[in-house]
Amino acid sequence: MLAWNFIKHFPCKNLSRHILRDRVRPLCLFTFSTPPSSFSITASLSYSSSSSSSCFTDESFTAPYLSVRIHCPKHVLDPFSEALLCFGASSVTVDEDIDEDAASGSSLVSKEICIELIFPVHEEVKMCISQAANSIGLKEIPKFKVEIGDEQDWITKNQELFQPVEIAEMLWIVPEWTSPPVTEAVNIILNPGFAFGTGEHPTTKLCLLLLQSLIKGGEAFLDYGTGSGILAIAALKFGAASSVGVDIDPLAIKSASHNAALNNIPLEKLELHLAPSEDSSSGREIPLRKQQFDVVIANILLNPVMELADHILSFAKPGATIGISGILSEQLTNIIERYSPFLEDISVATIGDWVCMSGTKKGKFIDN
Amino acid sequence: MAAAAKEILTRRPVAATIRLTVPAGGARPAPPVGPALGQYRLNLMAFCKDFNARTQKYKPDTPMAVTITAFKDNSFEFTVKSPTVSWYIKKAAGVDKGSTRPGHLTVTTLSVGHVYEIAKVKQTDPFCQYMPLESICKSIIGTANSMGIKIVKDLE
Repeated sequence: MLAWNFIKHFPCKNLSRHILRDRVRPLCLFTFSTPPSSFSITASLSYSSSSSSSCFTDESFTAPYLSVRIHCPKHVLDPFSEALLCFGASSVTVDEDIDEDAASGSSLVSKEICIELIFPVHEEVKMCISQAANSIGLKEIPKFKVEIGDEQDWITKNQELFQPVEIAEMLWIVPEWTSPPVTEAVNIILNPGFAFGTGEHPTTKLCLLLLQSLIKGGEAFLDYGTGSGILAIAALKFGAASSVGVDIDPLAIKSASHNAALNNIPLEKLELHLAPSEDSSSGREIPLRKQQFDVVIANILLNPVMELADHILSFAKPGATIGISGILSEQLTNIIERYSPFLEDISVATIGDWVCMSGTKKGKFIDN
Repeated sequence: MAAAAKEILTRRPVAATIRLTVPAGGARPAPPVGPALGQYRLNLMAFCKDFNARTQKYKPDTPMAVTITAFKDNSFEFTVKSPTVSWYIKKAAGVDKGSTRPGHLTVTTLSVGHVYEIAKVKQTDPFCQYMPLESICKSIIGTANSMGIKIVKDLE
């Protein structure tokens, strides 16, 4: 915290303004001073058959990239990696296996290690490498080899990761290419593409469990930030009368509509709307009436959920339940501060570092 | 002592260490995140959601330096650090790229005060907290020089 006092009084240009969003309260810049073991995330590899299902991507995902293998003297690995990132590399990967193979295969102790770099396709790889090598005082430029990256490879690997998830007893999320493990359960079939929401993430689980407890039958549900459409579809499966999914990402809308079809949801039950993104100047409003919904859930991130609070609340009927997630427990106080003027009976559910806050909208319901 | 030994024995085997620059709040499964993490079968969406949530306090698109440890069982951990020193230098100097011939061609200059300010911010990085400010300053000056940016006492 002391650092900020120095920087504030310093005559030079205040760099902090360029980095932090919140000028008034200079929070500690880095919350990552705890040992690395604090953010452990497990995912399991699925050995199931090939994912021949279609993949919802746009050009940015299948954009070509350059994959470079380069030798690096072991003793300069760290500075060289840093330098490469400074001068244009998008990523630097050190594969531990290669090191082992090299060490066990030869009688000589290898003084070099092979690292893998990714570059944007238009980057001048040779120039970047030579600048990086120069900046750390390497006498010669290490050998390297450039290839066009194979995007199909990593996209396929990512799809294979997705396997059936049991959210609660008799509630499963099942990938499109697998048959449900428990046929009698409520099975939500999904092909998430690159939209968020496979059921594995703690926030998705929290929201699904909240939904399950709230939907009794006949409700109108709004899924703000629908991603793969998982919550909108789940609400209908639990008995809601109708669901509306909103997202700023056209890929999400595509993915959600594909998933609705997978679950045999008729068009009139699930409406999807593309919300105008921040930079869009079209001024287009989402065609939904205010105070239309009995349950509203927004599982996004702290900033959108704070900025859109009034907007999200406006769609809920008085007495409706609002659920907010995508929030870390350290961000909870901000959310509660922002939403508590409008909500009562606020409760919080937690899984790991993630929380879901829910409450009922204040105000009298005017029955016309 | 026994507990520490046990921890070492059960420590998960590492498949790879990945370093990336990712814009704060803007991680997406596209390159470079996609191929770099996808290669080791790490859950891309989980990383993006986690990273984006943890970098909400930064101005959108500030390039953050991320180091990911990918374990052989496809789980992972990551640490996020403040923007790279070169980013700060470019911001402070107001230039887009460093010099194409560092050592021969000076692009612009920065003052000692800028270096000090950057060092103070970098000192709050994890793993940098106990480094003397002088060492951090020297390293910043070194990076600046290699980018063709000269450090002067005062800007005119």
